[in-house]
Amino acid sequence: MSHQFLTISIAFLLLLSVPFQALAGSITGKISVKGLRSPANVLVYVTKAPGLSADLSNVKFTMDQKNLTFVPHILPVLVGSTVHFPNDDQVAHNVFSLSRAKKFNLGSYKPGTTKTVLFDKPGIVELRCDVHAEMSAYIMVMKNPYWAVSDAKGSFKIPDPVYLDQHGIKGVPDLPPGKYVIKTWHEKLKTAKKVVEVSGKGETAFRLDLKRGNPSVLYK
Amino acid sequence: MEVDNMMTKKTALLAIFSLAILLTIVYFGKMDPARGGVRETRETKIQGRVVSQYGPLENARVRVPGEDRYALTDRQGMFELSTNLPPGGKFRITAGKEGWFNNVQITSLPGPMGDIFLNPVYLNDRAGYRFISPVTCASCHVELTRYWDRSKMAHTSSNPMVLDMLYGTDPFNRQGIQPGYRLDNPESGGNCITCHAPSAAAAEGQSRDLKTILQSPMTEWDGISCDYCHKVRKVLTDRTKPSGTGAILERQTAERGSSILVFGPYDDVVAPPMAASYNPLFADAKFCSTCHNHFRKLDRKQSWEPAKVYTSSEWEGLKMEDESFLPIQTTFQEWQQWQRELPYNDANKGKKCQDCHMGWRKEMLPYDNYVVDGMARRMWGTYRSPQDIRPHHFDGGTEIQLKTALSMELEGEITGKKLDMTVYITNTNGGHWVPTGEPMRSVMLLLRVFDSKGNTLRMIKGSKLPPWAGEGNPEQGNYGGLPGAVFAKILQDKEGNNHVPFWRATRIASDTRIRPKKTVTLRFEFALNDPEDEPTAEAELIYRPVVRPLAKKKQWPVKDILMTSKVW
Ligand code: HEC
Ligand code: HEC
Ligand code: HEC
Ligand code: HEC
Ligand code: HEC
Repeated sequence: MSHQFLTISIAFLLLLSVPFQALAGSITGKISVKGLRSPANVLVYVTKAPGLSADLSNVKFTMDQKNLTFVPHILPVLVGSTVHFPNDDQVAHNVFSLSRAKKFNLGSYKPGTTKTVLFDKPGIVELRCDVHAEMSAYIMVMKNPYWAVSDAKGSFKIPDPVYLDQHGIKGVPDLPPGKYVIKTWHEKLKTAKKVVEVSGKGETAFRLDLKRGNPSVLYK
Repeated sequence: MEVDNMMTKKTALLAIFSLAILLTIVYFGKMDPARGGVRETRETKIQGRVVSQYGPLENARVRVPGEDRYALTDRQGMFELSTNLPPGGKFRITAGKEGWFNNVQITSLPGPMGDIFLNPVYLNDRAGYRFISPVTCASCHVELTRYWDRSKMAHTSSNPMVLDMLYGTDPFNRQGIQPGYRLDNPESGGNCITCHAPSAAAAEGQSRDLKTILQSPMTEWDGISCDYCHKVRKVLTDRTKPSGTGAILERQTAERGSSILVFGPYDDVVAPPMAASYNPLFADAKFCSTCHNHFRKLDRKQSWEPAKVYTSSEWEGLKMEDESFLPIQTTFQEWQQWQRELPYNDANKGKKCQDCHMGWRKEMLPYDNYVVDGMARRMWGTYRSPQDIRPHHFDGGTEIQLKTALSMELEGEITGKKLDMTVYITNTNGGHWVPTGEPMRSVMLLLRVFDSKGNTLRMIKGSKLPPWAGEGNPEQGNYGGLPGAVFAKILQDKEGNNHVPFWRATRIASDTRIRPKKTVTLRFEFALNDPEDEPTAEAELIYRPVVRPLAKKKQWPVKDILMTSKVW
């Protein structure tokens, strides 16, 4: 047991000692929406950017099940990440997906237990529970770490160091200078697309105005 | 070197700090009794015997009411039950066995306990029995009755659409509106009541006529009532029934006082209002088969060709005797076929109708731990895990159930002046083919593709919705001729008319419904005027409870339900 702790602690330390990158090419912006109360929880992402070749074994994403609901409703993860599915409800659930990006079926499992799934292909994975029709959620498996989720004011920053940090993804460098395609995804908003230029010096800022509608696929 | 030294010191401190945190987490994690882990449970073993007037009873289920764990008795009627009950109190231990009334014995721990004595359910079915109205059950099972009352199952006999189809009427009560069973068969009452008014159908000397039944003061005759279902003792194969299976009822007023005889899923209910008898049938999909299956025997010497519609294993799975039988509704057999083909270790193995149609809904939260309310709860209620409670909502062709029934994914590829669209439609949540049930149901795929200016692109290859998806303005739900597809089972008569009612059908023209957990892949090709343009595709899956031609004839105000929509 103590051996394991040591390994974990060392890994922890290694991650901490990754040198900080100068903030060069990050993208910030603000979202406004028509037809929804809040501009929060919109996924904003770069369609093509360098991937991250890092060890993702310590990365932790969680899709909880509580009161017949998946929490969160939408969970963006980096391709190669493992997601934990604890059952914090009072009844058994049967989480599964028949999406092309990841098919799995965790079977029926009891409150207080957890299962994990590795998401190894980019795309949208629709989660279902076989016995509770109301339960559905999305896992957005992202090709690269350049995404952000908008806050209550609609602001976002790509990459989002806080979000990535929280889930154990460290050492994401800023975007190299160049032109990038930015897209949005929200269950109730039409996908918006914008080409932005990252100069390599500081932040590139822009606005996005979104309307109600259906989002499109993550990667065409 | 100063800096280096600082670093190692910091590193060492950090290491100690994180180790401390990790250890704390692990330590408290283990302390938490909810996680099981280390907590020493003091197991008490209770030994005893279950007997009847005929001697010891084998395979009786014994437990502390409401607890998960139970013990089975051996050939001598003996059991050994492990529980966490603390010593020094009096406890109820119950026993139940199919064919016997549940019973209880009080024991004090530690110490020997007396035998649990079970009484048999003597077979004494009375066809003249008057079913108890759900209103009575509602006085104790308040919430449960409320959920049931909101379902279609509660009002199967007074459903205006059923009456219109039987008598050849419409919502304006005009007579002679086809189709109508009585218009075609003035001499016959039809067998509708077997499934739509089963309490009346089973009663001796009662009218077979639905209207007369409804006009009688006996409210308990509408729908599939509580007392009807909970008087079912067995389900047996019976080829004389329109479903191929028949319910064996045990209609009697219990011997003990005014208690109500019920069969049910619990082996631990010993409460004065109920004379309860444990019956495993209630947790079995077979229970639903007596109505959720409907075949028709064609007139003499007629037959049809199932091989044109079904694969040989599908046809076998529908369990029709031969090709003179026409499968009308096959929900139970679709389910059974799916289950039978699953390997034993499949995560879906054993999932049954009750799991999906009698489960918790968000609107019912917070979870309840009782199946009775008010006074009855205080006096006799047993605390149960929500896992063991079955809210009777019977959601079927409803928005809640349909929204996740299917899922859809789109893939597109542009090559020169051509856009290839692939649509994948998967039956994710159906435990049978979707849409199941009445063949008047359908699911439509609607695919719209347009360029960046909003102009619709021309389809070069791919399927279109048939004319019966509606002719006229698409805004009003007339989708015939548009790119897409339809998933339905089509009944046809001798003259080749489609969407005929079941009593006129002589063959199945097609059955494109989506099999459980299976994906249907559809390919389309659209012409692009400008290869540089970025087109958009929008797809919708729409559930239509009654096909257009029939809804139109009957002037039924049925509403389409959007199941899901996707954009590429
Ligand atoms: C269509 C048949 C049907 C009808 C109608 C029906 N029940 Fe049930 N009932 C069942 C089945 C099946 C179960 C067992 C489900 C299981 O355990 O998987 C059940 C279980 C129960 C239970 C045990 C507790 C629970 O929630 O599982 C109670 C109490 C009960 N029913 C009461 C009623 C009352 C009261 C009504 C009328 C409002 C009613 N039932 C109507 C079929 C029916
Ligand atoms: C006076 C109150 C009362 C009335 C009226 C009543 N019940 Fe019950 N019923 C109970 C109680 C109490 C239980 C046991 C609850 C428990 O153990 O948690 C029960 C349990 C049941 C069970 C479970 C039995 C088993 O072994 O699985 C069924 C089924 C049931 N009732 C059906 C009905 C039906 C059907 C009616 C109407 C015809 C009805 N009840 C009317 C109080 C009542
Ligand atoms: C005695 C006959 C009978 C039995 C037994 C029966 N049903 Fe039904 N069920 C019906 C009829 C008739 C309807 C059609 C109601 C209507 O549309 O008016 C129906 C409708 C339904 C629906 C559709 C409701 C909707 O909203 O579309 C569901 C779901 C359902 N039943 C589930 C079950 C389950 C699960 C069982 C077994 C526990 C069961 N039924 C047992 C006769 C029965
Ligand atoms: C894995 C979950 C699941 C199981 C198991 C299941 N169903 Fe369903 N059922 C659904 C879903 C989802 C729908 C909605 C889609 C549809 O209409 O087919 C549905 C719809 C229905 C409908 C309404 C059909 C309509 O459109 O009017 C009936 C009736 C029905 N089920 C009966 C049954 C019966 C009887 C069984 C057992 C033999 C059963 N179901 C097993 C999930 C399930
Ligand atoms: C073998 C049992 C059985 C028989 C016999 C039967 N039905 Fe049904 N019927 C059902 C079931 C089960 C459903 C519900 C299926 C579903 O929801 O898709 C249903 C649904 C219907 C519906 C659709 C109701 C709605 O709200 O959508 C109509 C109309 C109907 N039946 C009419 C009739 C008529 C008229 C007869 C007699 C001529 C008849 N049925 C005989 C079992 C039966």
